[in-house]
Amino acid sequence: MNNRLKVLRAERSWSQQDLADRLGVSRQSVNAIETGRYDPSLPLAFTIADLFGLPIEAIFLRDGDSQ
Amino acid sequence: MLSVEKAKTPAARGPWFWAGLYLVSSGIIVMLKLTDAIPATVAMILFAGAMGLLIPLVRAGERRNCANPVMVRYNRRFLAACFGYVLGLGIAIALWNTYEPSGPVVFAIALLPTIPTFAMIWAMGRYLVEETDEYLRYRTVRAAIMSLGGVLTIGIFWGFLEMFELVPHIWAWWVLPVWAGGLGVAQLWMKVRGE
Repeated sequence: MNNRLKVLRAERSWSQQDLADRLGVSRQSVNAIETGRYDPSLPLAFTIADLFGLPIEAIFLRDGDSQ
Repeated sequence: MLSVEKAKTPAARGPWFWAGLYLVSSGIIVMLKLTDAIPATVAMILFAGAMGLLIPLVRAGERRNCANPVMVRYNRRFLAACFGYVLGLGIAIALWNTYEPSGPVVFAIALLPTIPTFAMIWAMGRYLVEETDEYLRYRTVRAAIMSLGGVLTIGIFWGFLEMFELVPHIWAWWVLPVWAGGLGVAQLWMKVRGE
């Protein structure tokens, strides 16, 4: 699954640690999600969507969908 | 000047230093025992002493990992269980060698090192329950399953080799140290692969 997490984070000038602190997860988690090595659970995906004020489908994209 | 002095204190050493010191100490004790340079009781006492190196190892690891409270609790529980294991094993071997017990007493003696190993497994289980970071939990579960696969593979292969009298008998309690070692190897493998 692709995602726009890195772009959204960069737009706010947040480091991975900043985002991790806001989400209440580890920096490794943010890194793994951003690089596509780990797909978050639905609760975490909703938390991410709430933080950025966007619907989930605006952040997480199906494989093959353009970012 | 202050930073130089601080770097020399034991507290400033990294976890790899203490892990290396512990492994070297344990290796020397095993070599001394295998060459019959020291009796089993002395080896057990020395090994218990070497386990003291695990305390600064755990503390150094906690400093490096910014002290995730769940991991701190796990480390301390596991360390306490390790001390209980060495103590229980030492007492059990001493009782076995001194009194030649039989029947229910042997059952009780066998429980001395067994109960702390149950505590180790309980500590691992509690870590999985208490870890709130789903990615770290996923990594641990994945490493545990990979290591379990390794233990089953080695165990089955060894069992048949043993049945055909190609290799010596190995006690079943080895599954835990082999599994714990496999857990470390699996986590290292995931780290090397960038997972």
